[in-house]
Parts: sequence; C-alpha cells; structure tokens
Amino acid sequence: MNRLVLIGAAVAALGAPLSAQQLRIVTSTTDLHDIAHVVGGNRITANHIAAGYQDPHFVEAKPSFALQLAKADVFAYVGLDLEVGWMPSLLDAARNRRINRGGSGDVDASRVIPVLDVQPNADRSMGDVHPRGNPHYWLHPENGKRIARLFRDKFSELDAAGASTYRANTARFEARIDSTVRALAPQLAAIRDQPVVAYHTSWRYFQDFTGMNIVGFVEPKPGVPPSASHLAGLIQQMKRTKAKVIIMEPFYDRKMPDFVARNTGAKVLVLPPSVEAVKGVDSYLELIDYDVRRLAEALR
Amino acid sequence: MRTGFLSGVLIALAGTAATAQQPDTTARRDSTARADSIARADSIRLVRELERIRGEARPPHVMGGMIPAQPQQPSNPGLNPSISVVGDIVVDASPDGSTLESARRFDMREVELALGANVDPYFRGDFILGLSDEEGIAIEEGYLTTTSLPWQLQLRVGRFHLPFGKQNTTHRAELHTIEYPYTIQRLLGDHGGKGTGLALSKIFSPFGFYQELQLTAIERFPEAHGHEHEDEHVEEHGFEGVPAEPPNRTLEGLGYTARFRNYWDIGEATNFELSFSAGTGRIAEPFGCEAELTPGHFDPCPGPRGETAVLARQSLVGGDVTFRWRPLQQGLYRSFIFQAEVMRQHNEDPALPAGLPPGAAYLGPIEETTGLYAFGRWQLSRRLFVGARYDWVEASTDVERDFSAISGYLQFFPSEFSKMVLGYENLRPDVGDRVNRLLLQMTIAIGPHRPHPF
Repeated sequence: MNRLVLIGAAVAALGAPLSAQQLRIVTSTTDLHDIAHVVGGNRITANHIAAGYQDPHFVEAKPSFALQLAKADVFAYVGLDLEVGWMPSLLDAARNRRINRGGSGDVDASRVIPVLDVQPNADRSMGDVHPRGNPHYWLHPENGKRIARLFRDKFSELDAAGASTYRANTARFEARIDSTVRALAPQLAAIRDQPVVAYHTSWRYFQDFTGMNIVGFVEPKPGVPPSASHLAGLIQQMKRTKAKVIIMEPFYDRKMPDFVARNTGAKVLVLPPSVEAVKGVDSYLELIDYDVRRLAEALR
Repeated sequence: MRTGFLSGVLIALAGTAATAQQPDTTARRDSTARADSIARADSIRLVRELERIRGEARPPHVMGGMIPAQPQQPSNPGLNPSISVVGDIVVDASPDGSTLESARRFDMREVELALGANVDPYFRGDFILGLSDEEGIAIEEGYLTTTSLPWQLQLRVGRFHLPFGKQNTTHRAELHTIEYPYTIQRLLGDHGGKGTGLALSKIFSPFGFYQELQLTAIERFPEAHGHEHEDEHVEEHGFEGVPAEPPNRTLEGLGYTARFRNYWDIGEATNFELSFSAGTGRIAEPFGCEAELTPGHFDPCPGPRGETAVLARQSLVGGDVTFRWRPLQQGLYRSFIFQAEVMRQHNEDPALPAGLPPGAAYLGPIEETTGLYAFGRWQLSRRLFVGARYDWVEASTDVERDFSAISGYLQFFPSEFSKMVLGYENLRPDVGDRVNRLLLQMTIAIGPHRPHPF
C-alpha cells in the first residue's frame, strides 16, 4: 500500500506544474537565449547550444548538449530546418518528453514569424535550401518582439506565478527595441536602397528591416561554395550595380569575398549574425544596433 | 487462481454490459421500433442526399460504363514517414583484380532505403532495408524506440546495430572509410555486428560529465549480417553443423551486450570519449570426424541426438577512445578526429557429446583473438578531408602471422548529401602475399536532411 502511495506521488510529481523552482530553458542559438533571458529574468535559467560565432546549421550533436536538454523544461529553437542536421539526434539522446515535439516545452519560434522565401517546390538542386522558409528571421527587430511574446506566453503557461513578471519584462523589451530602432533612423536612412552583396542568404530579414538592396550572393546557391565563373559574374554584377559592400558572417572563409572585393573596390564587412558572434555584441539589442551602424559606416 | 478470478470478473462484466443493452420491457418495444423506423428513414434520406451530391460532382462522361476511382484526399504530409535512399557505389581499381566481396570492379554495393516516423506519442519507428545484388533485400535495421520513458531511459525493440564499440554503431555508408575496420569485420561481421532484441539505455551525470549505459539482450551474439558465420563453416568444413537444441532455447543461449560511455568536453573545441563494451552469447559450432581417405578433412559424425554441432560460448570485450577537435568559428573548414578501438574475443572449448567415435574433434574456434585499429582524419578545406588507419588482428592458430593493414583516404564532399572517397590499402594478410587495394567510393543520399553523425 505504501509502495502504491509512493509510486502515485512520483507519477504526480512528474506531471505536476512547476512552482517555485526556476524554469530551465535551453535554446538552440544565442539570440533566442538572450531574448529568453530578458523575458524570463531571474525566474529562469537559460543555456544555448550553438555559439554566436558558429554556423548554426553545423553544430556537433555532443552528448553534453543532450545532458542539458535532458533536464530542460523548455527547448526553444529557430525551426524551419535550421537545426535539422543536429537537433533530431540531440532530442533522441536527451529522452526528455517535455521537449519532444508536441511536449509542453517544445517551442518552435518560427511559428509566430511571418516567414519569407517559402519554397514548397524546392529541391536539392537548388542547394541547401529551406523549403519552409528562410530561417534567419531574428535579424528583424519586429521578429525579436514576436519571439519575446512567444516566450512570455510559454513561460506564463509553465510558471503562472511569474506571468506578471514575464509580461512586464516583455513590454520593457519591446519598448527598448522601439527606442533602439528610433535611434538608428539616420543609419537606416543611409542604408535604404543601397546595393550590397551577401555571402549567404542569412540577411534576407535584415534586408527587409533596413531596406538595403542585396544584388548578389557569394554563394551561387545556399551552402554551395562559389566557382570561378560565378565569382566572375558576381564581379560584373557588382560593377554594374555599384555595390560597395560584401556582407559576410564571421564563420565563413574570407578568401573569396576578399578576391571579389579586390576586383571591385568593395569592402568586406564581417557582420555578426548572432549575439556573441563578435566582442561587444552581448545582447539582442546590441546585435541590431551594431549591425546597422557598421553597415551604415561601410556604405558611407 | 488469480487468472481464473480475473476471467470470472471479465465474463461477469461482459454479461452485465450485454444485459444492459437489452430492452427491458415490452412497453418500450413499440417506441423503440418507431424510433428505429424514423432513424432508418433519416439514414435513407441522408444516403440519397449524398448520392445526389456525388452525382453532381461526378464527371459527365463515364467511359465504358466503368466507374472511375474516387480521387484520394490529400493526406497531411507530416503524417507520412520520411523516406531516404542512400546509394553506395564502389569502384575497385586494385592492381591484382577486384578485392571486393562481389569480385566486381564496378559494384553497386548497397542501396539503403530508410523510412522513419513517429508512431504515436510513445514510439518512433525506423526501418532500413538494404538492397544489394548479393543479398537481395535484407532488413538492415528495423526498430521501435520509446520517446517518453521517464528517468532518461530509452528502450529500443527490433533489429539494430549493436552498441558495441564506436564505429560499429555507424552505417557503413556513413563511415569515414570505405569499409569497417578489419577488427570489426573479423570479430563482429563484415557489415558490422547487429542484433535483434531489446536495447535499454540510460544517460546520467553523477560526476558532472556525460555517462551512458547501454544494455542489450538479443537473439544471438554476434549476429553477423547475412549469416557469414555459417558460410565460413560450410566453406571450411563442407557442412554447417546442427546443434541438438537451438542456442536460444534457454536464456543463457541468448546474446547480451553492455556498453558504458564516458564523454568529456575538454574545451569549447575539443572533446574526448572513453567507452567500454562487453558481449557474450552461445553459438552453434560444428564438430566432425576426420575422413580416413582425406586427412585434414572432417565429415559430420552425429552425436547421440543426431547433432553435428555443439553450443560454445563466445565473448568479446573492448574499449574505444575518440578525440575530436573542431574550432567553432572555423568549424566549416578545420577539424580533426582520432579514434582507436581494441577488442578481445574469447572462445570456449566446449565438451563434445559422449559416445562419439575416436578422432571426433571440435571444429569451432578456441583461441583468444585480439584486434585493434587507430584512425585519424584531418580536414583540409570545407569539402576535403584526408585520413589514415592502421589495423591489426592477432593471428589464430591455423594461420601464418598476424593480420595488419595500413590505409589512406581522401574524402571529398561535393555537398552534405554526396561523398567521394579515394582509398588505398596495403594489407598484410595472415596468409599469403601482401595485397594492395585501390578503391573509389561514391555515396549519395536523397530524401530529407539526415542528421550529421557524431
């Protein structure tokens, strides 16, 4: 009888809502990590898997990450197949039903995003495409707000006692985004309609936000290294459109962008695509601020 | 007693339910009949209405009086299993002829068809069929994996790559090299060791680093793919041998393995894994009597129960280390991996059945055999890798010397979904002259994005 009571108590504890303890959040990227931290404050503990200066497509599914996920109440990820190369293995290794698909802690942030570049008929001949849409959406501040609201709702659902804190933190975060964007008005005006070249298709939402005009890519197709003929065509394209800046992420090799820059007189601008990708960019707001200011300077 | 009681309760419950469904009074019979009649009329009206709607939707012209099949409603693609196909093509340009199992120069070595999906909230199902000219269609793997057990437990049921050693858990087409290390080929099977049964694993970290214990109970150990084991007997002795009773008749005849993994992050870019494996099982090995006219050749000489094989215990222990370096920022272009495994096989020398004629001998292996390999791979650029491997397998009693091999590999990945490997191997076999192998492998994967192996 005693044993039955104990088993019942254990089962009840497994399914019980969290109370005074902190929510344990794991995010796939540093950007989601920072937003989760801002919304959750000291009511959560948060870890991230990919580093900011790492290509989030190619993360090693290390067992130590599985351990983090095994204890998580929430796993928030970018979605749209950005993490498809490593997330299934980690979720399988973590054996945590809370964060499995459909679990209470399964948070696909892309579901609150108006996704760009959905290509339902895409196939692999088009490179490493994301048929369900471009996943680099956090580089638009409006999407940062959407992610924060999603976290607010999810954290409130799992920790009702903290709902007012999550609401207040989210409202404050949204206001700070608005003031950051307002302060960037001169830079945004300088960027608008300016032709630039990007290494990868990571800057599509940033383009939407800033109004810059991406006239070409160093990669001929997503994930495919450039050929000589592609670079020759890109050089002609840059000369024709007077593109002065090549934007690239810190984890790509500079050799090809430098080659193109030498032949066009353009600058190579290494922009952090994520929080903590470069020194001094330690928060989501700093990321947006840094990228806009650096791009505006480069285009001057 | 308890079963009888339960049956009684079930019968009583069934009886109660059946009684409850019966009309209990004659007075209610008329009203029930009226209600039935109304319901029937409603049903007929609904059927007619549906027929009318379908008739309007039907194409005006029906050829040959045949009714065309109704088009299927599109189902939710998310409910369909993901389907992937991996093609593995090998070209053997070795100077002294083909060294492949198929003896071909150009070999479509295998096509793997993989289907997988969540079955329900509790299980995931994965099925991998291997198609090849030699074996036709074979079930490479097929298992259910639990997705919602508590306490970081996971149960797998079906056929799977045995969690024994490091590389054995990787599919051959996904290896860094063209074939499994020779230690694995010789001690677990050419295609790696597989098992059909149960696998239970648990992850834990009482000391702050990752640890995992994997236990399996399988039909037999080792369960080499394609039953090469029997083929070897047939080739060597001319007969396979049949035991008096199958090994799986008792629990001790099944195969059991255990693997204990320990993993450390040394730094952001480097990590280290040290694991230990052990396995045991009883296998049927033949015995025979030496032929008088052809010394050295053994013929079957059945025991008292007509058996021509005895059950012998075979055990295997092993350890493996893996060191990885991959700087996060330059990880697309630079990485290094070093891996080494050692295995030792122990074979029982079983007693033969009583009453056999003089000269009867056990024909199975009795010696202990050790094998090891060490492998390293350096990434030269985003798409290009170079690797090398050294293999060594201890000599058994009936061969001239230890087996050893030195191999070099150049891997080129046009994309994540295709791979080309150029391999050169210099083999010093346990019998005969050195063998040089020059191989080119092309592997392609189509279908959904496959997780990158770690």
